[in-house]
Amino acid sequence: MTEIWVKNACVIDPIRGINGEIMDITIRDGRIVESVSDRADVIDAQRCLTLPGGIDSHTHVSGTKVNFGRYMSPEDMRAGRTKRKGKMHVTSGYYVPTTFGNSYRYSAMGYTTLLEGAMAPLEARHTHEEFTATPHQDMLANTLFDGNWAVMDAVREKDIRKTAAVVAWTLKAARGYGIKLTNPGGTEAWGFGEDLTGIHEMVPHFAVTPAEIITTMIRANELLKLPHSVHLHCNNLGKPGNYQTTLETFDIVPDLNPDRQTLYATHVQFHAYGGGTWKNISSKAEEITRSVNSKPQIVMDMGQIMFGRTMTMTADGPMEFNLHCLHHNKWSNHDVELETGSGIIPVTYSKKSAVNCIMWAIGLELALLTKNPYQCLLETDNPNGAPFVKYPEIIGLLMSKRYRDEECATLATGVEQRTSLCALERELDWHDIAVMTRAGQAKALGIINQGKGHLGIGAEADIAIYPIRTDSVDPAREYRKVVEGFQKTRYTIKRGRVVSRDGDIIVDGANATFWVDAKVPEDLRMENDPEFIKRFEQFYTVRMSNYPVQDVYLPRGRRIETEVFT
Amino acid sequence: MRVILESKVRAKPNLPIEAEAIIPRNFLKGTDLIVYEGNKERTLSEMFWIFVEGTAVSPENIEVILKGDTSRIKRVGEYMDTGSIVIEGDIGMHCGNFMSGGTIEIRGNADSWLGREMRGGTILCRGNASHYCATGYRGEKKGMQGGKVEVSGNTGDFCAEYLAGGTVHIHGSAGDFPGVEMRGGELIIEGDATRPCGNMKSGSCVILGTVHDMLPTFEKIEQRVLPEWKVTADVYKGDVANRGKGTLCVRS
Repeated sequence: MTEIWVKNACVIDPIRGINGEIMDITIRDGRIVESVSDRADVIDAQRCLTLPGGIDSHTHVSGTKVNFGRYMSPEDMRAGRTKRKGKMHVTSGYYVPTTFGNSYRYSAMGYTTLLEGAMAPLEARHTHEEFTATPHQDMLANTLFDGNWAVMDAVREKDIRKTAAVVAWTLKAARGYGIKLTNPGGTEAWGFGEDLTGIHEMVPHFAVTPAEIITTMIRANELLKLPHSVHLHCNNLGKPGNYQTTLETFDIVPDLNPDRQTLYATHVQFHAYGGGTWKNISSKAEEITRSVNSKPQIVMDMGQIMFGRTMTMTADGPMEFNLHCLHHNKWSNHDVELETGSGIIPVTYSKKSAVNCIMWAIGLELALLTKNPYQCLLETDNPNGAPFVKYPEIIGLLMSKRYRDEECATLATGVEQRTSLCALERELDWHDIAVMTRAGQAKALGIINQGKGHLGIGAEADIAIYPIRTDSVDPAREYRKVVEGFQKTRYTIKRGRVVSRDGDIIVDGANATFWVDAKVPEDLRMENDPEFIKRFEQFYTVRMSNYPVQDVYLPRGRRIETEVFT
Repeated sequence: MRVILESKVRAKPNLPIEAEAIIPRNFLKGTDLIVYEGNKERTLSEMFWIFVEGTAVSPENIEVILKGDTSRIKRVGEYMDTGSIVIEGDIGMHCGNFMSGGTIEIRGNADSWLGREMRGGTILCRGNASHYCATGYRGEKKGMQGGKVEVSGNTGDFCAEYLAGGTVHIHGSAGDFPGVEMRGGELIIEGDATRPCGNMKSGSCVILGTVHDMLPTFEKIEQRVLPEWKVTADVYKGDVANRGKGTLCVRS
């Protein structure tokens, strides 16, 4: 029985409505409890900022796509090298680090739960293997359904129950957590050498539109009562003028769930461009946030970009090809049989590029213009917008108008004319940041019941204690202190164990992988559906019996069961 | 000042020595330097007989001479910025990495990766150089960016890959794919070459010997006399497969 007594913590716990109270937290056996015995280890937090463990609701840290990013950039492995030290493995890499590099750096920043943004079901084994090598964070895997043939067939038949059944079977087979749609229909069209430009266009050879896929999947998701909503990467990513598509998409989302959103729109910064060409691109963050502010059924995340070198990787193959045509650098493209695809290219976001500067400004505008912080979460689509180690800088920018102005002064011209960033006076407070980095994520992912994202009795003891005294630091002026404070926790506690102290990892990790076992009525079991089996055996390169991920790949898997629908 | 390092006879002569510490500037403060034999840390005096002649107040006047069996010594002259190094025999891989100034003379042969990502200075190799002479790091967009590499003999494959600046002069022949992915700079091959300059973006390449398997993605634009070589050459633009604007001159 291990017990920890955290004393004098300045707690912000938005889910329980605690904002800056000095209190004690007592932990026994990985859970937060009412009280502990005198023999408990005492941690004196010294009135430092104490938050629930950070949650990243959209990051790419594991799986074939990330690993191919590593293959493609041997030069990145020259950066970020650290030696073996105590319990820490060697690490290397900056924007696509080794799995342990990811895990240690997230842990040093106080993050304890990550959602891998896109896992192709066929390649789930690799993703789960990398999860076990990312030991300091609990993992969840969003599973890709954007080009799933069985789903598109069911959508064409307008059969929500069948769609739900395919989703349930695939989630269970891949040990996935939620539904991810990446450029729905578009990637599959690209597989046939074609492309889509809007959500009401027909996907060639499948006779469905992206809009139909999105709405049917949302209804199937709610029918299955999945903890997370549909997680959508909208169509037309990164194209000037694409905000129209994004708004159209938001307009077709019904409000079906009182507990959480029905659509999680990811990296919206990449979907909020006005203009028609790269020359006259402008920010449409105001239009996007106006729509989101009036639609509680939508949660988005920023997809902030930060200047520097990074790697973009997404299941949106055609978009990466278009980018490759601009950059003429290395590029990879991948087709995943009946499911999805992917593309990877390296990019450098430069302060000299007006387009990059506008992109940078849009991400911040989205966060500042969204009224409810629960509706705009902080992330960079790591590593697409920037590696996650830049999160503290983004927090600094959001909390300090002065920091933003100083950064704006170093940028290429155009930001002031084509975005409204310089006119925004809003400065977020500690509570907003706590929402945007943990509470909002926990709510959006539906893992509050799993004890994530809050510090209530019975919650998982995932706690981050930052070396920041909220009473003496003025974030608007002393933003450097804020940035440094969020870069390195004093203590990161994961499931009741101190895993990281002042940035050093001190124990071997033991993470869990959450996955959803969605129950369906007996007649909708896909493993008994002759048509589904026939299609599977006909088109896949693997046998259906070999397709599901065995439990051995999830040494600490945690199954979340849902109720059967009728 | 002259520092002479004569390699000692080793029990396992094939074990590579990593000697990035051997640059002239480091000898200003003495000869207590660390090198690695395999995974073991060694002092310089364990590996070499050290003779120091004269004194120096600035690193420009320091000359380091390596004698004996030096063919397994890697990374000599890495990050060197001034002074000179003379290697009397062969040298191991990665000699002159990131070099920004000074001169390195190799009287024997050089192993692979000679002058990788070099930024300035001169490397003179009297013998042959192996693969990846004057190139860049795997995956990096720019290779050698400045300075001069001159090889009296032949080079192996992928010579001057990703060359972005400076001059590479090969008196003998080059192997497969010299100048591939060139971004700038000048490559001169007096002997033969196979499949030169694939995916070239910019820069110029002159080949005075025979080109085997010329790539079809180069567009011939003219035939002219190259005055400095006194030969007539076919001038090509390319690599058109990737919108390249490099110049490739091949003796007609």
